[in-house]
Amino acid sequence: MKKFIKTGEPFIWLTAGAVATSLIMIVAILLLIMKNGLGFFWPSDIALLMLKNNEKLLGQIVNREAIPQPGAAAGTILKYRIQLKMGNRDIYGLDFKWVDVEDIKGIDYPENALCLERREWGNMYGFAKELKIAGSVVSGTDGNIWTALNSSVEKYGELHKRIVFVAKKEIGQINYDMERLRLKIRKLELEYGKENPAIKEKIENISKEIEREKGLYEKKSLELEELYIKTREAVILISTAEEKEKEIPVYNVVRAYMPNNMGVFQKMGIYLSRLWEFVSDDPREANTEGGIFPAIFGTVMMVLIMSIAVVPLGVLAAIYLNEYARQGTLVKTVRIAVNNLAGVPSIVFGVFGIGFFIYFIGGVIDKLFFPEMLPAPTYGTGGILWASMTLALLTVPVVIVATEEGLGAAPREWREGSLALGATKFETIWKVILPSAAPGIMTGLILAMARAAGEVAPLMITGVVKLAPSLPLDWSYPFLHLERKFMHLGFHIYDVGFQSPNVEAAKPMVYTTTFLLIGVVVLLNIFAIFIRNRLRKKYVSATF
Amino acid sequence: MISNRRKRLIDKAARWVVTAGGAAIIAWLAAIFIFIAIEVYPLFGKPKIGEVISFKIDGDFRPAAIGMDEYHESSYIIGEDGRVFFFSPKNPSTPPSPPLQRGGILSAPLEVGGLIRLVKLDASSKITSVYRSGDNSRLALGTSDGRVLSVKITYKINYDSNNKRIIEPEIEENNLIQITTEKLPIKLLAFTEKESDIAATVYTEDGRLLFYGRKTTETLLEGIKTEEFHADLSDQITNHKSEIQNPKSEIKITSLAIDGFLENLYAGAESGNIYHFDIRERSSPKLINTIKASSSPITALSFLLGDVSLVAGDGEGGINIWFRVRDDTAETGWRLKKIHTLKSQGKAVTSISPSVRGKGFLTASSDGTVSSHFATSEQTRFIIQHSSKPISMVSYAPKNDGILSIDTENILHYQTVNDPHPEISFKSLFGKVWYEGYEKEEYVWQSTGGTDDFESKFSLLPLIYGTLKGTIYALMFAIPIAVLGAIYTSLFMNPWLKGIIKPVIEIMAALPSVVLGFLAGLWLAPLVEKRIPAIILMLIVLPFLSILSSLLWRSLPLSLKRRFNSGNESLLLIPVFILGMIICVWMNYYIENLLFTGDFRNWYYNTLWLRYDQRNALIVGFAMGFAVIPLIFTISEDALSNVPKHLISGSLALGATLWQTAVRVVLASASPGIFSAIMIGFGRAVGETMIVLMATGNTPIMEWNIFNGFRTLSANIAVEIPEAPAGSTLYRVLFLAALLLFIVTFMINTAAEVVRQRLKKKYAQL
Repeated sequence: MKKFIKTGEPFIWLTAGAVATSLIMIVAILLLIMKNGLGFFWPSDIALLMLKNNEKLLGQIVNREAIPQPGAAAGTILKYRIQLKMGNRDIYGLDFKWVDVEDIKGIDYPENALCLERREWGNMYGFAKELKIAGSVVSGTDGNIWTALNSSVEKYGELHKRIVFVAKKEIGQINYDMERLRLKIRKLELEYGKENPAIKEKIENISKEIEREKGLYEKKSLELEELYIKTREAVILISTAEEKEKEIPVYNVVRAYMPNNMGVFQKMGIYLSRLWEFVSDDPREANTEGGIFPAIFGTVMMVLIMSIAVVPLGVLAAIYLNEYARQGTLVKTVRIAVNNLAGVPSIVFGVFGIGFFIYFIGGVIDKLFFPEMLPAPTYGTGGILWASMTLALLTVPVVIVATEEGLGAAPREWREGSLALGATKFETIWKVILPSAAPGIMTGLILAMARAAGEVAPLMITGVVKLAPSLPLDWSYPFLHLERKFMHLGFHIYDVGFQSPNVEAAKPMVYTTTFLLIGVVVLLNIFAIFIRNRLRKKYVSATF
Repeated sequence: MISNRRKRLIDKAARWVVTAGGAAIIAWLAAIFIFIAIEVYPLFGKPKIGEVISFKIDGDFRPAAIGMDEYHESSYIIGEDGRVFFFSPKNPSTPPSPPLQRGGILSAPLEVGGLIRLVKLDASSKITSVYRSGDNSRLALGTSDGRVLSVKITYKINYDSNNKRIIEPEIEENNLIQITTEKLPIKLLAFTEKESDIAATVYTEDGRLLFYGRKTTETLLEGIKTEEFHADLSDQITNHKSEIQNPKSEIKITSLAIDGFLENLYAGAESGNIYHFDIRERSSPKLINTIKASSSPITALSFLLGDVSLVAGDGEGGINIWFRVRDDTAETGWRLKKIHTLKSQGKAVTSISPSVRGKGFLTASSDGTVSSHFATSEQTRFIIQHSSKPISMVSYAPKNDGILSIDTENILHYQTVNDPHPEISFKSLFGKVWYEGYEKEEYVWQSTGGTDDFESKFSLLPLIYGTLKGTIYALMFAIPIAVLGAIYTSLFMNPWLKGIIKPVIEIMAALPSVVLGFLAGLWLAPLVEKRIPAIILMLIVLPFLSILSSLLWRSLPLSLKRRFNSGNESLLLIPVFILGMIICVWMNYYIENLLFTGDFRNWYYNTLWLRYDQRNALIVGFAMGFAVIPLIFTISEDALSNVPKHLISGSLALGATLWQTAVRVVLASASPGIFSAIMIGFGRAVGETMIVLMATGNTPIMEWNIFNGFRTLSANIAVEIPEAPAGSTLYRVLFLAALLLFIVTFMINTAAEVVRQRLKKKYAQL
């Protein structure tokens, strides 16, 4: 035995245990996120719990756990309780309820249990009683109610789209134009003085335009009002588990389905439709429902702007360090410093961003170019440009290091050959070295993008918000609005998970967002690893 | 074809562009550090002091009180005869101020510029004393015929069509109260109003200390009822005094102050005593305490903002700050204590003017100097010579950016100052400070509070403590796993498994910290909360299981062993560990019942008196450890793999076992590399923001308890910087926190890099 310990075999196993622990942790985390993130959209069955006190509860079972029994003697039989998502927030006030298994008489899955996803107040669970569309009534016992309901949900979905289009796009555009015209007048007045006759005509012209916009606005408001009247046309009467009745305008329903009565393929359809809604739609109900499209859009856009800034900067610096600077202690020191900058906490870059970009540069830009907006800041507050610039600074060391690695990997002979053939140094770099370093630059860029996509701390102080009213890219002139605040997947996770009033209801959404974010980051990283490995192989084979 | 000349030109241009651009970018990165440092610098900067401008006042206008407005455009002097004169010390020649020139004569032109007369004052009476209450806009004037007039001076600010500021001063004359029936001149006065209640104390020419109180009560039956009280307090003092010594000696009161709550009256005496009266019962004020505060007369008393801290200046220039502290040995449960002592001024303190924003105040001295102090940081910010004559009165501008003083020769002195961060000193950032309302000196971070007179407390120590706490717990979790894992991976692992492990670890490193924070805060924390015994058990059981497995493996028949290559032990251990974890969780219930009376958290509180927070250091340790593991792992693995192969072969050839070679040869020569890996891991954990933000309660407390939260420097920045206005003290202190993080991480990383470079060189030589 002693001898065996002396061989060190147990210690080797101990070190193996460390690797095993890491593997278990990483796989567990990925599985956890996948399970919770992907399972959320699956329309699970609606259970009808009949309790021993003759109460009835309807909802989806989401959790089951042992009840803690402090002070109980060892060997006591564990008791369990289940968590039911009951929805109907407008009736019960709470979405979730814990029910002790002991108290349950029986669980039933009634075929006609209906789940309504609503635009407000979350899900509704119940039984369809009647569908009233503009006077005509379809009864709940009628077999046609299901098709009638579905087609009218679809119809009112179109109406909703139209309302959103009119209210947000058209009226939003009119408001935007009016504000721009008003600012134009202010700018003229600031430039020439208030009562200057030189600008009188101009101001009058602009005022006329404002009047015209006002006329348009009134027309659109009328249209909107008419549309809103239409929303009240169709109503569905729902009876809840305890047979309370509640009328819900069909307009309020996003999706209606009876999961207990659906096959796997039908459920799959619902699943895909919900997934699509998630990635393509705007959030609802304080970000706890609906989609996260603006966050995806904001993240992508921020990463793109950052990439545009970071690649030239990083490559230029790397070429300088590797090709032009005289190699010596100074360059060595600089290299170490650049490398270490990647280890400086990201929040420090955020602090720099807020102080330098926002308050200093932004303040100057506002004074020079947007005096008519003051004291409301334009660039003097957080926005997508400043967030991207901050991240560009944060990730530029990554690009420099990767590019240098790429530049250094180019065989010496290539360089010498090119020079021997009479090419200048610039031509050698431009035509021979740089193309061969391209995979290195790519690796750096991808790693920078992955880091930027997952970074939150510097963003939350330089321009990310929980709910941005408009995207940084849209159809209103000048199309690209770099000063706008934006939404971000990582911040969305933090905000919904920790600042939301209804964390319990929002948690599944956060898991899905997390899944999406991790997916993007991990894919980017795998891509970078793949490119780097190919790069290495290529030069290994080239030298031999 | 491009000509050779052009080619050379392009080459030159490219060289120039790349050099300039590259150097600029690198300089830019250095600028981050410099910019942050520049933003921090004003915290420690010296106050900027403007030139002293003096005005002579016409002989017939004898000033009784002075005061400043926010913009230094409409300051006032109240004359002894009740005339009030508004003028602009900033630009004395512009209207509406009267024609007064720098160094010229301020003749009191009744009609020309902003001169008003207090209407409630009789023409025959003179103002003999003045009391200014905390918020600076309320004044009480004591007259030669024993009356007190309370006056409020306010400013209306308008803008004309050209956006020019117009300030209109307004005087509101409120109560005129007859305090002494004998119409004796009032020598000293203290007066406070709160809603419609009044407490006033006067010291008359004949040496009596008189109290006046008014109380308005509203009852359902009687409606609004106003009661008035008069009392002579001199007897209480003399009686008290007679017990000690010479009964015949007269008590000379030299200064008075009443707090804004109408609860405490302090009277400073020539003997250096401060008499503390409880005036809550307005009908019977009671002397509750006599404190020997100084050996020389207490010449000035004043409350600082908030009406809790009392500044006492004495005849020898000593300045002390007092406030009441809870003390069970005292009769009332409270005791007035000397909290802060400022550097002595040398000459008698003649006047004190508290700031209306913060615990700063000005003192004037009989040697003609005016000094600015800050109570909590115990600093004298600056001393300026205003005059060669004693200064009789001093007034601080509402924004602390100007000083107005007047000397005994009736010369006014005005001066601008700029001292934006007086509360910051090395001690207030890193030392223990005794704040108002605390029982002792403490390290406190509390930047914002609910009330206007809240004092921000900027001790960085709780944050530094929190940062270290989080980092240390994270490293305690990460180092064993990462270093042992690296040893196994580089020395014992099967190459094909290595090809999988390394990218997996790299992906682990790429997981965004917000994801780890979210899982730690919302998934792990509630999970661990219910299973702490299981978690503790796991820490013991899992290493034990791996050793047990090795024994089992040895006893397995060779035929079975041969099926697996060595180097796959970690894969074999995975099912074992999962089983072990399940057993631990299953055991949790029984252990908790057996050892911890069924509820660990209760047991923890009841036996160790420590609180259990759901989001605590243990959770952060796991989550941040998880973030740091790949970093330490990769660098250690690198260092271990780079150990020259001939060393290993040599060792094995000499008959050492694999483990002996690993420990004595590989680990020994790679230890600097592992050390540098740990340092880099430390650097990462120190600056991590999102995980600590989400997985702790973010309370800035200083306890090593693993089951409660903390607040780190980085999380603190993220939480507070959006609320900090640019240029404010909080903003700059947060920049200082960022600077600290920058310096610490940069230095640690540099040190680690240097160690690694050396190691590389050493390997090359071997």
